[in-house]
Amino acid sequence: MTESVTATGTHATPPVTPPLAGIRVIDIATIIAAPFTATLLGEFGADVLKIEHPLGGDGLRKFGTPSQRADTYTWLSEARNKRSVTLDLRHPEGVAIFKRLIAETDVLCENFRTGTMEKWGVGWDVLRAINPRLVMLRVTGYGQTGPYRDRPGFARVAHAVGGIAYLAGMPKGTPVTPGSTTLGDYMTGLYGAIGVLLALRHRDLTGEGQYVDAALYESVFRCTDELAPAYGMYGIVRERQGSSHNDYAVPHGHFATKDAKWVAISCATDKLFARLAAAMGRPELASHSIYGEQQVRLEHKHDVNEIVRDWCGSLTREEVLERCYAHDVPAGPLNNIRDIFADRQFHARRNLIAVDEEDTGETVIVPAPVPRMSETPGTIRSLGPRLGQHTDEVLHELLGMTDDEIAELRRKRVV
Amino acid sequence: VTTDQAEAPAARSTASADPRPLPLAGVRVIDVGNFLAGPYAASILGEFGAEVLKVEHPLAGDPMRRYGTATKRADATLKWLSEGRNRKSVTIDLRQPEGVRLFLRLAEKSDVLIENFRPGTMEEWGLGWTQVHAVNPRLVMLRVSGYGQTGPYRRRSGFAHIAQAFGGLNYLCGFPGESPTLPGTVPLGDYIASLFGAIGILVALRHRDATGRGQMIDVGIYEAVFRILEEIAGVYGAQGKIREREGSGSFVAVPHGHFRTRDDKWIAIACTTDKMFERLSVAMGQPHLSSSTLYGDQRKRLAARDTVNQIVIEWVGSLTRDEVLAKCLEEEVPAGKVNSIADIFADEQFQARGNLQRFTDPEAGEVIVPGVVPTLSATPGRISNLGPTLGDATESVMRDLLGLAAEEIARLRQQRVI
Repeated sequence: MTESVTATGTHATPPVTPPLAGIRVIDIATIIAAPFTATLLGEFGADVLKIEHPLGGDGLRKFGTPSQRADTYTWLSEARNKRSVTLDLRHPEGVAIFKRLIAETDVLCENFRTGTMEKWGVGWDVLRAINPRLVMLRVTGYGQTGPYRDRPGFARVAHAVGGIAYLAGMPKGTPVTPGSTTLGDYMTGLYGAIGVLLALRHRDLTGEGQYVDAALYESVFRCTDELAPAYGMYGIVRERQGSSHNDYAVPHGHFATKDAKWVAISCATDKLFARLAAAMGRPELASHSIYGEQQVRLEHKHDVNEIVRDWCGSLTREEVLERCYAHDVPAGPLNNIRDIFADRQFHARRNLIAVDEEDTGETVIVPAPVPRMSETPGTIRSLGPRLGQHTDEVLHELLGMTDDEIAELRRKRVV
Repeated sequence: VTTDQAEAPAARSTASADPRPLPLAGVRVIDVGNFLAGPYAASILGEFGAEVLKVEHPLAGDPMRRYGTATKRADATLKWLSEGRNRKSVTIDLRQPEGVRLFLRLAEKSDVLIENFRPGTMEEWGLGWTQVHAVNPRLVMLRVSGYGQTGPYRRRSGFAHIAQAFGGLNYLCGFPGESPTLPGTVPLGDYIASLFGAIGILVALRHRDATGRGQMIDVGIYEAVFRILEEIAGVYGAQGKIREREGSGSFVAVPHGHFRTRDDKWIAIACTTDKMFERLSVAMGQPHLSSSTLYGDQRKRLAARDTVNQIVIEWVGSLTRDEVLAKCLEEEVPAGKVNSIADIFADEQFQARGNLQRFTDPEAGEVIVPGVVPTLSATPGRISNLGPTLGDATESVMRDLLGLAAEEIARLRQQRVI
């Protein structure tokens, strides 16, 4: 695979040993949540083995828009740096091989329904007995405990249960998807990576492995700032707020421009409103007798928003933003993906990386690793692998299997 | 008091006495940021055992102390009480040269530094990466800003709301052709940037322990948000297709959205696969709907999106939320209540997993805050205290950590350096 041009140049190779070099991760999970943890670990140098069912593999290969190679673009992007090994855990021989692999592994990521791994005879107690240093990430909709633990859980449902779907949308309107149907999956993948890195640190200090129990609904609920304390103390039930955050600050929201685009403007303080008033060519609005104080603006939010709406509606997006930037008003475009591809900041920070898919030669553009590290930057060494692309290689390398043994396993559809 | 969240009663008092050392015991973190973008990473590190020193301006402190819903405590909103958790507050005025010198001495004795000023601000004070790295080559520094430390927009002010919009998330939220809305909560981008930041810190600490070398981590809130938008870049790059707002539904599956129940509440139903739809049609008492000649196939459902949704809308609208949920769960259809915070407080899963933790602040009274995420089996995180009063640890840090004499501390106070 040629790791070729980004929008602005080539992607750097790390000058030093990657921080997770020598860490082996087995990703036996599906779709995005726990696999995204493995993706993050892989970017920083872990060897990630993606274990998939021999027929079909991870559902992410079919989730979304197919690439020229048939696997979806999400697969190509998010299975980056992984090696694909097929193994049927419903087959006793598959389980035996899995256990041998676990003995050689630092981290296991799974997100089956609770009890599934146990049913296959590879629950936490069994795996820990094989490898006491193992760190296991378990992601489910509701966690490994509690009355709902056995319920099926997808991010859509987790957004609803975790309280953010209720808050997204126009007041009294239908609650909407909070931007992306997989938001909760990704957020749980982030929490999973934090849990795994903490557990690895504890493991290195004490020799003791442990499991991380992550629930999709908890990840989104944790990020609801003072929603819970405000209900707990004052009984405030926060409702949908549309495009504005007008309980605290005005103007603070999305405004349409003359060219049918959108800008976000957020004046959290009086100082910022004074700058906006200057940008609008109406500095008098920020005087004390008019709308200079947040409290007054909150009381007259409809009038204040109307003024900003009229002003934005009389100019193009570029004009509004130029004037806001000139006065240092916090404002920005509501970028769609075309805007993003054209944007100088995305280019300058190399947030988009073009990688050639090795079978079809198709150039695939994927988001670069985040965060950016000065000494040990994350890397994309390959796109999502073909199903079973590395089965032979891994069974040779880790378990010392011969070609004949592997052929036999393949005949029996264990791999 | 147990620290096992999984078995803890709801909303319990937590100041835990678990003797087991947490994974970040012995790690000292300086959080000199304001609000959440970056500081939330310090909260997580604190939950898992790090000592977190919140360095604040002596007069005003972190503006998050005044942002949000007020409490009886003059220096603390509910946001501050919850998200200022596990910190000690140390006041230092970084606009005074003596404050800068004190700060550098703290940095020398710390493992992690977190800041989120506008890029260039720390440099103006003489506290940029070069300077802090020089006094402590083992230091890990997390810098969070709207647009990152580089690029043409680096100096623009970037609150979460703006950065989320710039990163492409807000454009996607709402109904097609209508005003884009907020993605549920305003500071979502701050939290997401902090999660990436915490990962960067943990990775950098590992590298530091192996090599002795610290490093700088640079997170733009916009790119943290952009990173998690699944196939949007790939599909636009290959096919020029622009993802638009999808309302309460999904482009890839039907039915997959929010539906209103007879009692005027909402339920989420997510039939990602044909099997799930088959279960739903059984739950609805209309199993024939999932036959191959009708809507058994996802492509047919996508083609007849409105018709299929209408069937679900009518069924859901004929029953109460509890009835719909019971029928869905019986057939294992992925479904859940669209919970308000009132629903959440009444929910037995939240209670069983200790997601709501109760504390008593001497002044503010009883405060309920979200518990620690994620749950670790051997070393569960803890909340040791809520947001501290301004400068509660200034004295002890100056004396014990920096070895200043009492008269020296008094002089610094008098000159408003601390």
